[in-house]
Order: sequence, then structure tokens, then C-alpha cells
Amino acid sequence: MKGGFIIFLIRRIINAIVTIFLLIVLLFILLHIIAPNPLTLAKIYSGNPHPTYAQLLVVEKEYGLNKPLYVQIITYIWNLLHGNLGEDPIYKVPVINLLSKYIPRTLEITIPATILSVIMGLISGAIAASNRGKGLDYFLRGVYLVTWASPTFLIATVFQLAVAYYLKLLPPYGIVNPALTSPPNITGFPLLNALLAGDWPYFISVLRHMVLPVVSLAVANFGIVTRISRASMLVNMNADYAKLSLMKGLSRRKVVYGVVLRNASIPIVTLIALLFGSSMAGSVAVEDIFQYHGMGWFITNSLLNLDYVGIISTTIIVAISVITANLIADIMYGILDPRVRVIG
Amino acid sequence: MASVKDYKTILKMLVKEPAGLTGLIIVSAFLIWSLIQGSLELISIYTKNPRYSYMLLPHNPFAINPALALHPPTLAYLMGTNGEGEDILSRILYAIPRDAFVAIVVVFSSIVIGAVIGILSGYIGGWLDEIFMRITDAFLSLPALILVIAISVPLKANYFGVILGLSIVWWPTYARLFRVQVLEVKNADYVSSAPIYNISKARLFYKYIFLNVIDPILAYATLDLGNVILTYSTLAFIGIGVTPPIPELGAMASNGLSGLPEAWWWPLFPGLTILLIVMGFSLLGDRIQEILMGEVMY
Repeated sequence: MKGGFIIFLIRRIINAIVTIFLLIVLLFILLHIIAPNPLTLAKIYSGNPHPTYAQLLVVEKEYGLNKPLYVQIITYIWNLLHGNLGEDPIYKVPVINLLSKYIPRTLEITIPATILSVIMGLISGAIAASNRGKGLDYFLRGVYLVTWASPTFLIATVFQLAVAYYLKLLPPYGIVNPALTSPPNITGFPLLNALLAGDWPYFISVLRHMVLPVVSLAVANFGIVTRISRASMLVNMNADYAKLSLMKGLSRRKVVYGVVLRNASIPIVTLIALLFGSSMAGSVAVEDIFQYHGMGWFITNSLLNLDYVGIISTTIIVAISVITANLIADIMYGILDPRVRVIG
Repeated sequence: MASVKDYKTILKMLVKEPAGLTGLIIVSAFLIWSLIQGSLELISIYTKNPRYSYMLLPHNPFAINPALALHPPTLAYLMGTNGEGEDILSRILYAIPRDAFVAIVVVFSSIVIGAVIGILSGYIGGWLDEIFMRITDAFLSLPALILVIAISVPLKANYFGVILGLSIVWWPTYARLFRVQVLEVKNADYVSSAPIYNISKARLFYKYIFLNVIDPILAYATLDLGNVILTYSTLAFIGIGVTPPIPELGAMASNGLSGLPEAWWWPLFPGLTILLIVMGFSLLGDRIQEILMGEVMY
């Protein structure tokens, strides 16, 4: 059994690596289909709407755009493995430096948002299932229908307007109060830096700025969890073990929220990677609204600046993080439900 | 169990329940308005007379009037005006046909591409299946929004560029759905006995497989039209898509942020319009799925 798990683990890791490489290859192929000529490509990479011919030749040489496609792909992957994503044409620094500043800030809102959406979804799904067909069930289904159909930017705008502007409970935008000096950057995550330095005012300020983006993302994404946990709860509530627990004399509340919920939450693990992915996508709009300078803000800015190197690098780093999340979810599922290992 | 072919039965079952009826009303209103307003906009481009494009709207959506800027919702301006004094309701109504068009084109092309890849993959199997499924996995590993952003710059990021970009990244879900369906019918007698009757491969794939597995996929597609609109409007929100001054729901919501906190109507009404449309599609899609399959699959 132990050997089986290791084989399962290795297969999943190889799968994840192949997916990342394949995605890079596909992106390059797509890009070359859209812009088949080295000079057109150079124009896209140059970050300049009206480059001169000499400038284009420089760009073409810098990124090796005149070489065959497979050489470009291999060079790119080779550089990626060495942590080199090229120089950003707008900021004139290595892209990896920019991303190592922006990505942790985004993870600092998307990871809590993913966890929060799972918790919200599980609880509301359990409540809806145990009140099936009653008013509360219809109300919760209405709520998730509305949040699910809402564009993330609408939810974020409503929260910003209601909580920050009208109730004045939380700051409407930014990452931290700009009047505070930041603690030394050790981890890249502002929250952890403040914690390590013991800088409480900074920590609290970062936390207060995080709440609205995190809650907006969680509210936008929790509907799918509610839906699946409700369905899974309904199936499990009719299972023999649930009936047995009732017969043993456990209270209905204990059976529903203790016994059944625990079993029904296993399928939710497969959703974690999906939720994380949609939080990453949602952060593009949310960071724009809350002026939270992370990955989403960077990619929007790169679009305005025609910074293609920035955009493609961000895409690949986001892909790596989403695929890693997928891998972790797969492994967790394999641990929780041993049957999966055989199929995988 | 019903089939798409007896659409009359489906319609009857839809209108019986409030959720299905609401979805049907919202979606029909959206599509009919898009058809009418869209045709008027095309006529106005063709005849070079802009008046046709807003003859059904309460106001001219392009009439800049600084005196009316940030006018709150009143009877004359039901959804208020934006920072340039343009009527928001008229701009929303003007923008809607573009969302309908993008949703239909993207979902339709995804069904076509997904059917080709999914049926070949499921029917032939082997290494072809392996390659196709690896490619779909790679596409599905990233949110569609991020993928479209990645290819939007070379695509020039205008309206047709966005449609093309969305079509390029949207099909993998359909390829997966078709493949699963094909694996189910592949060993059924009517498919496995086809070679005996000398039925051509094209006929086999279309008449015997495609038409037999399309029902659940159409139910999903109904719901998915809303997903396309969500992604499209988020792209517009961050500045990819229709070029100003043509109104676009996502772009209006984004511009409206500059009116906060006073002019709440400016960003909220375009967002709420998207919410209403997408909700219509998901109510309708869920009900159709229930009717066709007897249950909601996910």
C-alpha cells in the first residue's frame, strides 16, 4: 500500500511538470501563429507602440526571435529553470524581481480567500442540506446563485462602497497605510514580514487592507462549494452510517454537522485548485478596484504599458502556482480517499 | 428523460416552475433585444446614419453633456448619468448586443472544436487521445481569463481579437465533455456495428455519435453562455476589448469607479445588468439540465 502511494505521488508530480512545459510550448506556438514574422514578434516584445527598425533589430536579437521556434522554446524553458525570465522592457529590471515582489502579495489574498470560500461553502451547504425544501434552503440557494452570477468586480465594488465608503470600517484601497515604514523584507509577504519584525501597527494595517479583497474573492467563489457540499451532504445523509449514528442516539445536529459533514467534505478537496485558480483570475479585477498592488494590478498595468514580457512571465508564474495547487489538492485527495490512488 | 428534439415538451416543463420561467424570460428578453438593437446598429453603420442606432433608446448614448454630469437616477434618466453626462441606461442597452454576439460565437465555436477533438479522441483513443487530452489539460490548468490576457496583446485586443482569443481558450471543456460522452456510446451496438453497414466515418461521427451525445452538452452550453459573458466583461473591465467611445458593460463599470463614492449608480448598474443576464442563463441551464438528464450533474 505504501509503495502504491509513492507511485501515485510520482505520477502526479510528473503530470504536473509535463502540463507546465506543454502550456509554455502551446503559448509559444499560439504566439507564433498570431505573429509569424520575427519583426512583428519584436514589435510585440518591444513594449513600444512605434519602434524604429533599428530598435526592432535590437529586440529581435535580445530575445532570439529570429531563431527557429523550438530553439526559442528550449532557451525559454532553460532560462526559466534558472529563474531567468528576461528583462522587463518598461521597468528595465529582471522580470523575476518584479514578480517576486507582486506575486506574494497576491498569494496573501488568494490563499486566505480560497480557505474562506471553502469554509463559507461547507457551512452554507450543510445548513441548506439539513433544511432541504425549507425557506432557509431556498434563501441560501438564492444567495449562491446571485454571487455565482455576479462578475467579481461588481461584488468588490459593492463591498468597497458599503464597507469602506459608507460605513468607513475599513480602508477603501491600498496595501498598507503609506505613513508607516515597512519592516525589513524577509519573506516577500508583507504580513509575514511584519509578524517576524514584531511590527504590530504595520501588521494590523496590512490586515485591515486585506479584508475587503479577500472577502470579495471568497464571496465571488463560494457558490460552487455550497452547491457541491449541499449535493454531497444530501447523498451522505441517506447513507447507512448516518442512519446508524442516529439510531445510536446521537442528536440530529451532531449527526449532520459532525458525522455527515466530515464525510461530505472530501469531494470539496478536488475543488480547492479550481477555487484557487478562480481567485487568481478574480484578483485581476479585485486588485484594480482596491488598488492593491499585486500580480493582478501588475498584469493590468503591463497591458496598458504594452509590456508583453511582463504579461507572459506573469501568466507562466500563475500557471505554475495553479498547477502546484492542483497537485497539492490531488495528493490530499489521495491521502483522504485511498480509492483515488488506484485510478490515478 | 427528454431530448432536445422534443423542444415543445421542454418548453412546457420550463414554464411550469418559477426558476425555469424566470430564466427563460430573462434570456429571451436579452436575446430579442440583442437581435433588434444589434440590427439597428448594423443598419446605422451601413447607412452611415447614427440616428438609427439609438432610435429605440431613451437618450442618445453618445450625447456628452457636462451640465448633466453625474445626474442621479430620476424618471428621465432611470439609471442616472456618467461623468460626461451620458445616459447610463441608454449606454447599457446599446452595449448588450455585443455581449450576446460574443457569447454565441464563442460557445458555438467551442462546441464545434470540442466535438472534433473530443470525438476523435474518444473514438480513436490511443496516442491521439493521449496528445489531445494533454493539450486540453494544459489549457484547463489556467483560468481562461489569464490565458486570454496572455494572448490578447498579439491579437491587438480589440473586439474581434477578444472573440478570437476567447474561442482559442474556451473549447477544452467541450472536448472533455464530448470525449466522456463518446466513451459511453462507443461500445453501443449501433456504433460498433456501423462498419458492417459500410457507413462512412464522417456519417458515423456526425449522425451516430455527435447527434446522439449533444443533449447534455447543449444543456451545459446554455449555462456556459453566461460564463462567457462574465469573462468577456471582466476583460473589458481591465481594458481589453471594444474600443471607446463604444459603450461596453465591463468598461463602464471600470470607468464608474472614478465616480465613487458619490455616483454609485455609475459602476453598479452595468455590473447588475451582467448579473441579471448571467443569472438568467444559469437558471435556464440548470432547469434544462434537470429536464434532459433528470438531475443536475455537478
